[in-house]
Amino acid sequence: MKFVDEFRNAQLGRALAGEILAELEPGRHYKVMEVCGGHTHSIYKYGIDDLLPDNVELVHGPGCPVCVIPMGRVDDGIAVARNDGVIFTCFGDMLRVPGSEYTLLDAKAQGADVRMVYSPLDALRIARENPGREVVFFAIGFETTAPSTALTLKRAKAEHITNFSCVCNHVTIVPPLRALLESPDLRLDGFIGPGHVCTVVGARPFEFIPLDYGRPVVISGFEPLDILQSILMILRQLSAGRCEVENQYTRVVPREGNLRALQVMSEVFELRPHFEWRGLGFISQSALRLSDAYRDFDAEERFEVPGVRVADPKACQCGEVLKGVIKPWECKVFGTACTPEHAIGTCMVSPEGACAAYYNFGRFVREREVV
Amino acid sequence: MSDPAGGSCAAGTGHCITCGDEGIAMRLVELRSAAALCVDEEGEVHSVAIDLLDDVSPGTTVLVHAGVAIGVTQ
Repeated sequence: MKFVDEFRNAQLGRALAGEILAELEPGRHYKVMEVCGGHTHSIYKYGIDDLLPDNVELVHGPGCPVCVIPMGRVDDGIAVARNDGVIFTCFGDMLRVPGSEYTLLDAKAQGADVRMVYSPLDALRIARENPGREVVFFAIGFETTAPSTALTLKRAKAEHITNFSCVCNHVTIVPPLRALLESPDLRLDGFIGPGHVCTVVGARPFEFIPLDYGRPVVISGFEPLDILQSILMILRQLSAGRCEVENQYTRVVPREGNLRALQVMSEVFELRPHFEWRGLGFISQSALRLSDAYRDFDAEERFEVPGVRVADPKACQCGEVLKGVIKPWECKVFGTACTPEHAIGTCMVSPEGACAAYYNFGRFVREREVV
Repeated sequence: MSDPAGGSCAAGTGHCITCGDEGIAMRLVELRSAAALCVDEEGEVHSVAIDLLDDVSPGTTVLVHAGVAIGVTQ
């Protein structure tokens, strides 16, 4: 398919790897963070890390929305799902995310009407088809996904659908990046920027990274050649002493983003004062809730939720993985007690999670052999 | 056509396009009133909301996330 096949050419990939090698300063170790879980997935799916020299290290960032959902929010969702007459809808990966005692899949097995949807628009369709039932959508995701929830709520309001509501867990990518950059645990040389978030928000929100923290950012596509080229662009900035936001993904990302999507989001959402991120703690103004004009669609207003903060299991090191402090295979329970089939931590649940990406593409075998 | 309500979120790619930061390039083949029919890399037809885009027409490649087109590929 056009825009896909040409970005998976193995010969061009090897040529880019050669250019990356030529750009390296001898003796220097480079740490580059891929912010987004989609990039993590592509890196291990296509073996991009195998093409890189040993002194170019890719660090996985916090950009998987399933992985950053704290257990307390899952408990809130389960509490809503257990109300009589509720049809609870969510994306597939959320079903297996552990709460303090159960997952949404467990709640479904115990009798709750929990259904997987591909789009919030499908949840709205279910509400139209079931006027006698309350239909709730468990909304997660960064700025890539928030527009689809906003559009759905606009349609619900326009159609006067009153049996539809959302548990809003949408988060924004810039505050956790700032928190990471302030962290003393982590030294990074540059960032592979989240291409599809930028399709919506544009490049401008990331300019604080070079301006305030002196690190280059290259907004990247998700095909293997996109990612290799982005790494090369970061290295070239470092070699030349430049530090700016560059856009490798120009075929999709306009500099100003999608203005219509941003307008719909600003109408439907407002910033929460603070929100808890798994592994990162509470971060100010890092998440969205429904605006006053859409408060009637807020499931947390419509149903009682526990709203209790739940500590992560002691054995789980998702926090360190999300901050890039440790590699997935360095977690004590990786691949043993914690597997995609029986996940303890959220990073093992979503295919976009760093642990699942390592596990599913067999990387843990090689890493363990090296140890 | 896909069955989003009952189908997989993996869309044949082995990963969840509604999570992370994923988007799927699809070719728009037909405009309808509230949505457009789009074809993905595998040839599967999807109904996609195009409310968030200006000036799209059959032949345009759009970037689809969670059933909604969020960008145009140029």
